[in-house]
Amino acid sequence: MSASTPATTIDTLQPVELADGVEIHLRVAGPAVRSVAWLIDLLIFVGVLMLWGLIAGLISNVVGEGIGNGLFLLGLFLVAWFYNVFFEMGARAATPGQRVVKIKVVSVSGAPVRLPQSLIRNLLRVIDFMPAAYLFGLICCLFTRRFQRLGDLVADTVVVYDDAKPAEPAAIQVNAEPHPPSQMLNRAEQAAILQFLERAPHWSDARKMELSDLLEPLTDRKGLGGLTRVCSMGLWLQKGGRK
Amino acid sequence: MSPNHFESENKERWERLQQMLDKVEKKGAKENAGVEELPTLFRQVCHDLSLAQHRMYGTRLTDKLNALAITGYRVLERRISGGWERFADMALREFPRAVQQERGLFWFCMAMFWGPFLFLAIWTPHDPEWAMAILGPEGMISMEMMYGNGTSPMDYMREEFGSNFAMFGFYIWNNVSIDLRTFAGGLLGGVGSIVIMLFNGAHIGAATGYVHHACNPETFYSFTAGHSAPELMGVVISGMAGMRLGLSIVKPGPYDRKTALVLGGRKAFVLILGAVMMTSFAAVIEGFWSANPMAPAIKYSFGAVMWAGTLAYLFLCGRQRDEA
Repeated sequence: MSASTPATTIDTLQPVELADGVEIHLRVAGPAVRSVAWLIDLLIFVGVLMLWGLIAGLISNVVGEGIGNGLFLLGLFLVAWFYNVFFEMGARAATPGQRVVKIKVVSVSGAPVRLPQSLIRNLLRVIDFMPAAYLFGLICCLFTRRFQRLGDLVADTVVVYDDAKPAEPAAIQVNAEPHPPSQMLNRAEQAAILQFLERAPHWSDARKMELSDLLEPLTDRKGLGGLTRVCSMGLWLQKGGRK
Repeated sequence: MSPNHFESENKERWERLQQMLDKVEKKGAKENAGVEELPTLFRQVCHDLSLAQHRMYGTRLTDKLNALAITGYRVLERRISGGWERFADMALREFPRAVQQERGLFWFCMAMFWGPFLFLAIWTPHDPEWAMAILGPEGMISMEMMYGNGTSPMDYMREEFGSNFAMFGFYIWNNVSIDLRTFAGGLLGGVGSIVIMLFNGAHIGAATGYVHHACNPETFYSFTAGHSAPELMGVVISGMAGMRLGLSIVKPGPYDRKTALVLGGRKAFVLILGAVMMTSFAAVIEGFWSANPMAPAIKYSFGAVMWAGTLAYLFLCGRQRDEA
């Protein structure tokens, strides 16, 4: 296990080992963002039913009331139980609401969600909803490592953030000369300094200095001097230990 | 090797994989030139990702490779469902076999449903108080309207074709939803399924008993004979699906509860799918056949055939011949 993923991580990255032996990281989505998606879906759901009611009403007038009523009930059945299944089986594996907040459903293994899984997790939704407003689902989410509600547990699925393209590095020249650190650094420390160098362009100067001040024992100075020193070490490490 | 060196050396390969994945994900199988290279490129990226993680090349690079590996895995793992052939196999072999394998659960759910049914159906003509309490005044009125003493089997037919279809839609919505709720109720340690089965059995039993007490049984039986077999057995089997789920929480056996739930869920899924199939089939009969103005004798024999067929389907279909 590499040091970049310690066992007690506090972020929402979940390691998954693929059959190919490599470990990928899924960013699981929590109850808050899923509630937003659900509210959007609820609005769409109500809209679809109202529209379907209108269409069925029209059919009633033309063909006969029985046909219209029957069609409305069949549509109600399909939409009430299978709204999510329909969208989860689509190419993007997400309902319109989930698409808005950029989350989607996948297997715990990271593979695309399959029809039986999707059916199971959505049929069990009624239990997650109990006793009201998804209370069981919420409690279950909070007590599982991957924010899985009961239906997710049985179907072996998770809701994850859609993998956005990672940002390209800010092309900013660092005003510093490569310089070796004053003492031997272990691998985790080296990685920390390299990451600092990579991410520093996105932060304000005060924040950069606040962090580099923490390294005073290593750099022997505070403020701008310390910051420059940390960058020098980073550049030195980046060049593979050469000037 | 520095991160930048590593990146510049492999960048071209990663970009090629990314383009290929984009193409395959957007256009599907139509655009598949060079696709045979995909597994190799994917494995190389997996290797690169492990290296980058191990050498701690920083989050930007590992995030990028991580995203690439996830997309690659998703594209390679994409499966095409079996279609109709798979469905036929499920309906004709997998489902009845799943019912046969859960013998204990089957008899348990039979008892949970038929127990209260038989008790109330037999007891009510002697002491209608209970049935009246269960059905309520509205239930009693509607029973008398449909099957009352003044009716004959010929009365209860629907005027137009459209009303048949309306009833079909209603039965799908109502009865299949009950099946699905029975299944989901199993997640509460099986308690939900048991409660729904008991209540369902009691309600139908009370209605049957009340017909004997106050209505014309011939009207009632000639209406219900045709669809009763698939509908009532569908209730029992959806109870089995729920209990399978509940038991994997209560009694996970050699697995931890989470694994037991996933495995139990797969078994229960086949059962509930079959139950939904049977109940939908019952809705077709109930909608389009049961209200036909035919002689009771014809309807009773049709009902008998349906019962024999349903039981034979459940217990004879899909049996492995070399089981002994």
